[in-house]
Amino acid sequence: MISLRHPFGWLLRLLALLAFVYLLGPLFVIIAASLSDTGYLAFPPQGLSLRWYQSALADTRYLDGFFVSVRLALTVAAISLVIGTAAAVALTRFRFPGRALIEAFFLSPLVLPGLVLAVALTLFFASNPLVPPGMMRLVVSHLIVGVPLVLRVMLPVLRRVDRSIEEAAQNLGASPLKAFLLVTLPALRPGLFAAAALAFIFSFDEVEMALFLGSAREAPLTVVLYGAAQMAFDPTVAAVSSLLILLALILMVAQQIYAQR
Amino acid sequence: MSGGTELALEGLSRRYGSTVAVARMDLAVAPGELVALLGPSGCGKTTTLRMVAGFVEPSGGRILLRGRDITSMPAHKRDTGMVFQSYALFPHLSVAENIAFGLHRRGVPKAEVAHRVARMVALLKLDGLEARLPRQLSGGQQQRVAVGRALVINPAVVLLDEPFSNLDALLREGTRIELRRLQTELGLTTLFVTHDQAEAMAISDRIAVMNQGRLEQLGTPREIYDRPATRFVAGFIGRANLFDAKPGAAGGLISEDGIPLEAAGAATYVLRPERIVLDDAPAEGPNAAAGSIEVLSFLGTGVQAVLRLSGGRALLVEGPASLADRFRPGAAATARWTAADLTAIPAP
Repeated sequence: MISLRHPFGWLLRLLALLAFVYLLGPLFVIIAASLSDTGYLAFPPQGLSLRWYQSALADTRYLDGFFVSVRLALTVAAISLVIGTAAAVALTRFRFPGRALIEAFFLSPLVLPGLVLAVALTLFFASNPLVPPGMMRLVVSHLIVGVPLVLRVMLPVLRRVDRSIEEAAQNLGASPLKAFLLVTLPALRPGLFAAAALAFIFSFDEVEMALFLGSAREAPLTVVLYGAAQMAFDPTVAAVSSLLILLALILMVAQQIYAQR
Repeated sequence: MSGGTELALEGLSRRYGSTVAVARMDLAVAPGELVALLGPSGCGKTTTLRMVAGFVEPSGGRILLRGRDITSMPAHKRDTGMVFQSYALFPHLSVAENIAFGLHRRGVPKAEVAHRVARMVALLKLDGLEARLPRQLSGGQQQRVAVGRALVINPAVVLLDEPFSNLDALLREGTRIELRRLQTELGLTTLFVTHDQAEAMAISDRIAVMNQGRLEQLGTPREIYDRPATRFVAGFIGRANLFDAKPGAAGGLISEDGIPLEAAGAATYVLRPERIVLDDAPAEGPNAAAGSIEVLSFLGTGVQAVLRLSGGRALLVEGPASLADRFRPGAAATARWTAADLTAIPAP
């Protein structure tokens, strides 16, 4: 805790406050605008009404989009977790030629702009329809970023886990596979949770690939919102966004409570 | 090897590329015996222990446990109980679950598991801590859980890898005495890796001194201290003054720095610091050397001194606390010893 008597205490506090305003301000604007009584997005809001929430929940496109996004993000998170963790185990446990190169290669999609990936994948799938269009194609595309995200989280976690706990398990009579499942995997649990959450959030929020590669029949929520914002920018979009912010908040609080248990 | 041997290493070797970590190691441990593998870091003692546990594959030689060749048996099928230097407790399991882990793997019935865990908890004075997680324990408690977890499965041999090195000095001595008591009471055959010679001397039946992958000497603590087999052992176990005695010009023996010696013949001799007597009379005849006191450290039980001889040698001397009253740093003094105090090291 930085005391106010610290020579720069007040300055640090001011900086922290500014950072919070900068980070949370836009969210506040959206929530405020969603409560506006006007038929267009307005800030500061004029009047106070929940009717845009009503219209958001009544519009099946948003609800359908939400469930498509959840299904997509859950699938991407689960597959990314398995592939990314397995890759992280291999990269931390075994010495083989080109290990550093493979690690760098695995992480490289993280630095590519989403739009570049989306265009490249569109061109690729146009000439090589290896995966049927729609949900499947979107899942495969999201894995390109989801796997590196999991890898990014799991590499340091695995490097920190004491290798000797696995040896201890073997010494006490557990086969190498059982030792991994009974001892190493539980020790990795907090890391696995964080990695899965990251992959889920990425997939849920992703717009570019969803626009380029998704199908109109099964549009994720981001695509529905993107379309709605282009057509008519009414406060319904802000209401949907506010509901998502609320959901994220609930999940974060739940996770904190779970972690502190 | 016959029934008198629980664990036998026969010509055990391990090479990493062109470096030899362990070179043709032979060792036989009797039932209920505690043998220490002692040496500086990198001497191959930990590699040897890990070969017995099955975590390192030998490049040559055999390991026999109760007469059975286990050289190529996977680690989880060997009947060894290892205490790791880091303790390696399972972080997500409670104290009781940690101790029960090996019993569950062996398919021991539930009621018996509970009974044996409870007995181990009582034996190691872990009562009341059964439900705690490892991170909620002190270092000493964690160490006892690691010991309990290894002993509860009744292994044919217990492997200890520097089990005291993470404890503070005060706790370390009490813990090692406690472990020795437990080991003797339960009659556990034990292989114990340490780099601390005092620790090895304190609790071992026999010590295997290792250096650069080779077994330098195997013997009881007394044998190793009183009759070191090599210069390395003489220097590593306790403190030692070494003399290379050669025939002198005037007849008799003379050390490499010109001290006349009276001893059995030309050889390298060890002179332990506590065998030396200091006085302030002039040095005359063999087995005496004059110099000035450079350092005088009071250790409570006695005094340690460094006597700088005229030839340049720093002679280590240990004596009673009264030495500190009789001599001050900088004072002239003469060191004396007898022929019986000089122990010859066999020529290599």
